[in-house]
Amino acid sequence: MATNTGDFVVRFSFWSRFQHAMIILLFGLLLLTGMPQKWPGLAASRWIVDHLGGIFAARWLHRATGIAFTALVVAHLTVAIGGILLGRIKPSMLLGKRDFRDAIDNLRYYAGYADTPPKFGRFDYRQKFEYWGLIFGSLIMVATGYILYFPILVSRVLPAELIPAAKVMHSYEALFAFLIVLIWHMAGAHLSPEAFPMDTTIFTGKISKEKLKHEHPLEYEDLFGKS
Amino acid sequence: MTRRQRSKVSATAGLLALTALLGVSPAFGQQAAKPAPIPDAVANCLGCHEDKSLALTFKDGSTMSLFVDINDLKHSVHGSQLICTDCHGKYDQDHPSGATFPSRRAYTVGAYELCKKCHFDTYTRTLESVHYELLKAGVDSAPMCVDCHGSHNIQNPHQKRAMMSRSCAVCHTDVYKVYASSVHGRVLVEDDNQDVPACADCHTHHQIQQPGTKFRLNSPETCVRCHGNAQLMAKYGISTTVAQTYLADFHGVTASLSRNLSESQQQMVVTCNDCHGVHNIASPKLKGPEAMRATVTAACSRCHQDAAPSFPAAWLSHYPPSPRHAPLVWTVQWFYTIFIPFAVIGLILHLLLHVYRLSAGR
Repeated sequence: MATNTGDFVVRFSFWSRFQHAMIILLFGLLLLTGMPQKWPGLAASRWIVDHLGGIFAARWLHRATGIAFTALVVAHLTVAIGGILLGRIKPSMLLGKRDFRDAIDNLRYYAGYADTPPKFGRFDYRQKFEYWGLIFGSLIMVATGYILYFPILVSRVLPAELIPAAKVMHSYEALFAFLIVLIWHMAGAHLSPEAFPMDTTIFTGKISKEKLKHEHPLEYEDLFGKS
Repeated sequence: MTRRQRSKVSATAGLLALTALLGVSPAFGQQAAKPAPIPDAVANCLGCHEDKSLALTFKDGSTMSLFVDINDLKHSVHGSQLICTDCHGKYDQDHPSGATFPSRRAYTVGAYELCKKCHFDTYTRTLESVHYELLKAGVDSAPMCVDCHGSHNIQNPHQKRAMMSRSCAVCHTDVYKVYASSVHGRVLVEDDNQDVPACADCHTHHQIQQPGTKFRLNSPETCVRCHGNAQLMAKYGISTTVAQTYLADFHGVTASLSRNLSESQQQMVVTCNDCHGVHNIASPKLKGPEAMRATVTAACSRCHQDAAPSFPAAWLSHYPPSPRHAPLVWTVQWFYTIFIPFAVIGLILHLLLHVYRLSAGR
């Protein structure tokens, strides 16, 4: 995992960084091709669709990107589950009771009822909740996406009302994901006083020891012992 | 001028204006009540043209009766406003001169431009119509003003919609027959119902275009003119959500974003016509649920060839999701409309609390 290289520690492997970059690309493409279909009446939607080569081209791109996104989700889950089973990855993203306690303690600290924030491990509760939100959100998007991709096949084996329900779910879940990324993720990675103007760790893989000690003190102690 | 004087003056002015109005209005006032007296200029012409046997032979041997039924004229919209020479001005000097035309039809074609003297805007619109294209291509039977509106007996086309539609039937006989037995046509033809669309309401008048793909793609707009009118639809117990539900549906989204598509791609856009038909539109209610299901299945499988019989249930039948129609869709929709604001507001509060601690709490 994290390796000591002078003042910095390697926090994210190439695979993690690659996945993050792919998510930016694929999620961006999915939003670009999907959102105009959610609001087809807007002039902006028409402009985007026209510049993508029309609605059929936009839908083709959306589906192709969806397939790539599915591959990414499958690869991620395979590597994560396989890695944990083989003992090569520490299950640091798993949620525990501690995370809920941390959330409450941290909010108490924010509100002024505690003098220090709780000590976080490799991932704090905000990162874990966002991660699990992303995992379940992706599974919902993938499942509903394929229902919409193959409606006739679905209607042969399952009640056909699933198809319009999947459409509503796909649309709202996408909006929710977009809002989370726009408000929560962007605020955390760019506007947060600790990160401003930008937290580059996920792109470079490096985190300074100082930042690690401040933001993930338990992991720091695991690596370097209590100082 | 004192106040009293001033009011006297204005009263006089008002009286004068009223008199002036009354002086002008008999022409309009009497149109509805009883036809205006025949002006001398018309009476002079009628001296000859009252003769039912008066006729003209054209060069090709075709004939035209020159008899003018004064009752037609009197009951027409022009009866109290025009005299014969307003339209037939050409024949002032060298009268009679009709025989110079090669045929009866050539005479009518020659009269094409008569109406533009007053109806210039309408005339220019006809120049852009598919019918004028035909005329330019040398098709003599292309409709002229008088073919649809009549000549001496012209009626207000907005009041005589059934009559106007019958004029289309002269050439478009088959289409008219289908239309006349449709949910719209039947009540227009049989009951003179003024709520239903006549030919011109969908196809427009004067500037009529060839109804191609563009016309089909435009059909939601065409239909919504009436089917989005709550007052009108309430009369017949028809829902006005048809447009919204269509637009919210997959096909409606495609239609909304169909600008700039190629001709072949446009064929893939599904609009009202594709499921409901065109001239043969029937009421889904009158058909009964069983027949309706069969119709919908047939409509779906026109494009989705491999659609299973269960596939049409994926469509919400123009109903907005509700606990009764599509409870699953309704539940999902409500879950997110509550959950999304709740979660987003929570996250924003979390962020604001963080900023609060950093700025004020330390």
